[in-house]
Amino acid sequence: MTHSLALVLQNPAIWRGGDCAPEPAAIASGFPSLDAVLPGSGWPTGALTEILLAREGIGEISLTLPALARLQAGHRDIVWIAPPHVPYAPALAAAGLDLTRFIFVRCATAADQLWAYEQALRAPECGAAFAWLATSDDRVLRRLQVAARDGGTWGVLWRRPGQHAVAAAAPLRLALAPQEGQLAVQVLKRRGGEVVHPILLDVHSLGASRSSCATLTRSDPRTSTGRWN
Amino acid sequence: MLWICLLLPDLPLEIFTRGQSSVISGTGAPRFAIASGGHYPLIVAANQAARAAGIVPGQSVSAALVLAPDLVLRDRLLDAETSALAGVAMWLTQFTPMVSLSPPQALLAEIDGSLRLFGGLRVLLQRIVSGIRALGYSLHCKWAPTPTAALLLARAGQGPSVTRSEDLADALAPLSLAHLGASADVVALLRAAGVTTFGAACALPRDGLARRTSGEFVAALDRARGLAPDPQLPFIPPARYEGKLELPVPISEVAALGFAVNRLVHELSGWLLGRGRGVIELSIAMAHERYIGVRTGVPATTLRFALASPAREPAHLTAVLRERLARVALPAPVESIVLASEVTAPLTGRNLGLLPGDEALITVPLLDRLRARLGEDAVLRVAPLSEHRPERAWQAQSWNASASPPRSSTTHPGVKATPLPSGPRPLWLLSEPAPLGATFETTPWVLRDGPERIESGWWDGADIRRDYFTAESPRGEMLWIYRDSRYGDDGEWFLQGMFA
Repeated sequence: MTHSLALVLQNPAIWRGGDCAPEPAAIASGFPSLDAVLPGSGWPTGALTEILLAREGIGEISLTLPALARLQAGHRDIVWIAPPHVPYAPALAAAGLDLTRFIFVRCATAADQLWAYEQALRAPECGAAFAWLATSDDRVLRRLQVAARDGGTWGVLWRRPGQHAVAAAAPLRLALAPQEGQLAVQVLKRRGGEVVHPILLDVHSLGASRSSCATLTRSDPRTSTGRWN
Repeated sequence: MLWICLLLPDLPLEIFTRGQSSVISGTGAPRFAIASGGHYPLIVAANQAARAAGIVPGQSVSAALVLAPDLVLRDRLLDAETSALAGVAMWLTQFTPMVSLSPPQALLAEIDGSLRLFGGLRVLLQRIVSGIRALGYSLHCKWAPTPTAALLLARAGQGPSVTRSEDLADALAPLSLAHLGASADVVALLRAAGVTTFGAACALPRDGLARRTSGEFVAALDRARGLAPDPQLPFIPPARYEGKLELPVPISEVAALGFAVNRLVHELSGWLLGRGRGVIELSIAMAHERYIGVRTGVPATTLRFALASPAREPAHLTAVLRERLARVALPAPVESIVLASEVTAPLTGRNLGLLPGDEALITVPLLDRLRARLGEDAVLRVAPLSEHRPERAWQAQSWNASASPPRSSTTHPGVKATPLPSGPRPLWLLSEPAPLGATFETTPWVLRDGPERIESGWWDGADIRRDYFTAESPRGEMLWIYRDSRYGDDGEWFLQGMFA
């Protein structure tokens, strides 16, 4: 019964609401519960992913690190264009990234940033291109999406808090927000059915320290020093 | 032995015209000619448009100006011709180690040993001819078993080339003796005796000919026929490439320089291939118009450019230089360009493509494209340093191949990880620690990890004594904060990083 049902469902004319479009190339994100909702079971290589941040410092980069390390293992470069802060080399190295394949681009003008981003997306040797751009020009985003498709590059367009993004050409759009010490990933758009509930991921692998928490207030600074005594 | 002679008949003209595509031919091309110096200057060479106006080499300049008042005249530069010939010789070293200069306008190269590698005479010749055309020269090309015969055939410009020694005497026989390079007296003497061709001279009794002319003339006949050794002085390519290109008319647009730069890049590429090296650092100097230079003292515009890894593909180098040149503002029109290789490194040979068109797959590395357009300071690599103070525990460098370690082909994650044992480190570091001030007063923050005391740097004036915590702000951010404990345990709080 189930077998014959599966046979029937393989008919390409049958489209089910929860299905995702077949995504030919994807790289596993390292988070099984996230992979389950991403088309192709992973981050799309050869497409633009737009990630909207509610805050910075909620584990948004850690979310991408397993996939970045996997891309580097395949001898591909990682390019970060105009990041808002300094990518801290000791932490990147400790996270297992190969810094000889990590290119950090600082551009002065928005035109240079866009040019560099398009070049990175088009380059076959570039596995992932991250950019922190303010542009919301639909034509620009479409161009970047085409570049990512041509180059087979995983492009992530980061939207910093407060950058209200309108509907964009990126086939995958996520919104990240903190929720009870975890990272809540809300899929805003994907090539497939809607995902209603956010996915909660534990991206901060702080481990044992989580149990021994201390509360810090300005009025009572001694609380924080409690562990020393 | 098989020698090929490459004769560049229009060299005096082409050292100027090869810098600009439009001058060589075409309907709108200016009439352009080269004049010899002296009190009674003569036309040495003229381009197609000038020849169409009736200007021929050997004409006096005043006569030429009557025919074409708009004629663009440049003085002949003999030094530039010599160095241009050496430039072609450098390019030719990629095919054979035995290249010899035969001034003023010819090159000789021994190619017998290279035939097998390059796939036969026909393929090799096609590569050489199309390559020299790409350098901007027209050429006559002849080959023969001896260098003197090859030169003779090329100068005569007639008769078939020869590959077998047996055919040599027949091929040389109808050629005029004037091309042998013998002294004018000897040629005149033989002409008076009715001997004008090579074959007729060879048929004369040998000892009588030697007595009436000179031993040198008979020896030249022997060398051409392969009866006597014919040694050539090998051309030794210099250790540093420096190619100069004179522009026919001064150029003030950077974009128009690309064509000229391309010519030099081809030459450089051949030189690199001949030496088995790749270039890491290039410099390009653009000399400005002479009279402006004297009057206002504009020095040559010089660019230095470093590549991320050794390279020698013309397409790669041209693309990089084009981007680099696009960022240059020229103070005055450019009159000549000098391209030089500053630093080179060994680069293993490439495989010739199996299928035609395989070479087209070579692309310019992303890193070089970004660096060329955005500048070397904008494209960086980051590395951890052995230092306890967090703001000094990393550095950003440019990707110069001469300065940075080679990029790994196999990844070793974590090999160069944090050099010193430390607690958790944030992925984002703020450029300056931000004082938190009275942020804690309203809602409590949760300390997840810490304290980690970092106390260091008393010796260099940047003394720190800090207690670092991983803290979760009420808004859910994971932050790296510290308390400045230099002046007691109740110091100010600062935000330094984010666990992004």
